[in-house]
Amino acid sequence: MHSINILDYSIKSSQGDIKETLDAIKNAKVKVSSKEVPTLDSKITIPYFLFQDEVKADQNSVLSAIRDVVTPILDKLSKEEKEKTAIIIGTALVDMNIVDSIEDSAYEEQRKPYYSNKRSIDTYAKDLSKEFGLNDFTMTINTACTSSINAVLEARNLINSGVFDNAIVVGVEIFSQMMSSGFSSMKLLSSDFQRPFDISRDGLVLGEAVAAVLVGRGESLWSVKGGYSNCNSLNITSVSPDGGEYADVMKRAMEFSNVDVKNITALKAHATSTPTNDLSEINAINKVFDTNTKFTAIKPYIGHTLGACGVLEMAIFMSCIDDGFIPATISHSESIIKEYVPIQEHTKCESGVFMLNYFGFGGNNTSVIIQKELA
Amino acid sequence: MKLYVKAYSSYIGDIKEFDVKKELKQKYKLDTRRQDTFIHLAVYGAQKLRENTDINLDDELYVTSGLGNIDVLQKTNNYVGKEGNFIKPFDFINMLGNTTSYYVASSLGLKGKNTFQISDNFTYINTLISVFASLNISKKDAVLGSIDLATQPDEIIKRVLGVDKETKVTSSVNYQKLSLNEDGALAYMEFDSKSYSLDEINEILKTTSLDVISSMRCRKLDTNKYDEYFETIPAYALSKAIESNSDLLYIDCYDSKYKLLKLINI
Repeated sequence: MHSINILDYSIKSSQGDIKETLDAIKNAKVKVSSKEVPTLDSKITIPYFLFQDEVKADQNSVLSAIRDVVTPILDKLSKEEKEKTAIIIGTALVDMNIVDSIEDSAYEEQRKPYYSNKRSIDTYAKDLSKEFGLNDFTMTINTACTSSINAVLEARNLINSGVFDNAIVVGVEIFSQMMSSGFSSMKLLSSDFQRPFDISRDGLVLGEAVAAVLVGRGESLWSVKGGYSNCNSLNITSVSPDGGEYADVMKRAMEFSNVDVKNITALKAHATSTPTNDLSEINAINKVFDTNTKFTAIKPYIGHTLGACGVLEMAIFMSCIDDGFIPATISHSESIIKEYVPIQEHTKCESGVFMLNYFGFGGNNTSVIIQKELA
Repeated sequence: MKLYVKAYSSYIGDIKEFDVKKELKQKYKLDTRRQDTFIHLAVYGAQKLRENTDINLDDELYVTSGLGNIDVLQKTNNYVGKEGNFIKPFDFINMLGNTTSYYVASSLGLKGKNTFQISDNFTYINTLISVFASLNISKKDAVLGSIDLATQPDEIIKRVLGVDKETKVTSSVNYQKLSLNEDGALAYMEFDSKSYSLDEINEILKTTSLDVISSMRCRKLDTNKYDEYFETIPAYALSKAIESNSDLLYIDCYDSKYKLLKLINI
C-alpha cells in the first residue's frame, strides 16, 4: 500500500474561503462575475468565477494570494516539521516572471536597467519555502488541468520513498487574458453557465483559485489511497468519444490503490461541461461503474480552475463530506446517457472511498482515490 | 539516492546553425506542424535517445527546463498582450508546459506517466529526486528530457536565469533513460535532498578523486566551469562524463546552498 494522509486543507475560491465556499454549495447561491476577452473580430464578455477581491496578474499579487492560503496550514507546523516539508505547486498559469522580464528587455520603449535574479514559474514555491523555513526542495508542475492533482501524486511518491515527511501541495490559477483568449479561440467557453453531462451543455466557465493541501505521515481520517496518471489521448486536446482512455486510467487508479469498483462510494467527475469532454467521461463512467453509482460535479459552483482544480476540488469535496454530504450537480436537467444521471440533491455521506477524476490538454489523464474513515 | 543511466543523448549549440525542424522531417520523418522551436528541440533530443536504447510503452516521461517555452510566451505576449490580437489556438496550446511533453511522448510512442516540471533553484537535481521517488513506487524506467532554448534578445533569458549580461547562453537538449535496475547500465548517479554549505563543499573537494565541474552560479568555487550557460547544464555534464568515461562530481549552487551530483561509469 502506498497511501498517505491528508492532514489539512485551505482554499480561496470565487466563493471565498472554505467555509464561504461550503455555504455557497449548501445553499446553491453561487456568485459569478464576468470578463471581457478579445475574439477574432471584436471583444466578448464571458462569465467568469473571479475572486471577490481582485488578485492582479503580477508576481507580488500572486505570491501574496498563495501566502494567504498556505499560512493557516504551515503556521500549525513546528520548525522541525517544516524542515521536512517540501512544497509542490501545480498550475497552468502564464509565467508572470518571464512576462515581466520580456517587458523589461524586449521592448525598446519600456526597457528597464539590467538586473539578474533567477525567476521562473517555480519562484512562488521557492519564495514560500524560504519564508516559512520549509525544505528547499521545490517543484512546479504544469500538466494543464491535471497539474495540481499530479503534484499530489508526486508528493505521495516523495513521502512514500522516505525523502520527506510532508508536502504542501498548492494549486494556483488566476485570470489571464492569454488563457481566456485561448479557450475562447477553441470555442470551449459557455456563454452563460456550466451544465455537466447535460444534453444542452455548451462549454465551460473559467475560474480563479488558490488551494492547498498538506499531505504526510501524520494521523488523519483522510488519506490518498493511490492513483494513476498517464498521457493517452486521441490528439492533443481530446480523447476518443467512447472514453476508453479515461476508463483505462480510472481502472488503473483503483488497481494501484487496491480498491475494487464496488467499494467506491462516489465519484467526483472532471465534468468540464464541454460537448466532447463530457461525452467521453460519461462513456468512461458507463464502462467502469454501474448505473447506481453516485457521481457529481464541482465546477458549476467554482468554475473550471484549470491547473488549480486538482487540489481545489479535492479540498471542496472533502469539506462537503466533513459536513456530511456529497454535493449535488447543479444546472443539470437531461443526461447524455439517461441511465447515468449525476446526483441532483445533496446526498448524505460522512465517510467512504471516493474517486476523483481530472483530465487535461496534452493527453494528461489522472484519477485519484481518497478515503475518509469514520471517526 | 541512486539512479542508473541506461542510455543518453546530448545536443548543445546555436539552433540557428542547425535546422532541427528539417532534421525532424527528413531524418525522423516526423510531422512538425503546429509545433514551435522549443518543442522541436525537445522532440529532436528524444529521437536521438531512441537511437541508443529501447523505449517501452509505459516508461515514465519527465521533461524539465530552466524556464520552459519562453519562445511562445515571448511571441504571444507581443501579439496578444501588446497588440491586443486574438490568440491563435496552437500558440495557446503550445504555451502549456505539457504540450512539449505530449509531443515528446507521441514521438516516442509513450502512453504512461508524463510530466513537465520546473524547479527554480536546482532544476535538474530536484527532477532526479522526483524521478527516483516515482520509480521507487512504480518499478518502471524513466525517460528524462532536459531542454533549454536560447531565444533573442537573450537579455530576457539572462534576466530570468540570474546570470551576468556578459554570460553566453545557449540552447541544449539532453536526455537520459533512467532506472533503479543496474542491468545494461552505462553509469549510475548518486544524489540526495541535502544542501551543503560552502565550508562543507570545500572539505569534500579536498578528498574527492573525481573530476569536478561546478555551475557558473558557484562563483566562490575555483573549479572547472563550462563557458556557456543553460539551466539544465548538469544533464549535459553527465552526458559528457559518460562519453569520455570519466567519473564526475557536479556541484550546483543557489542562494549559498550547494547540491552534489556524482556520476560513476560502470
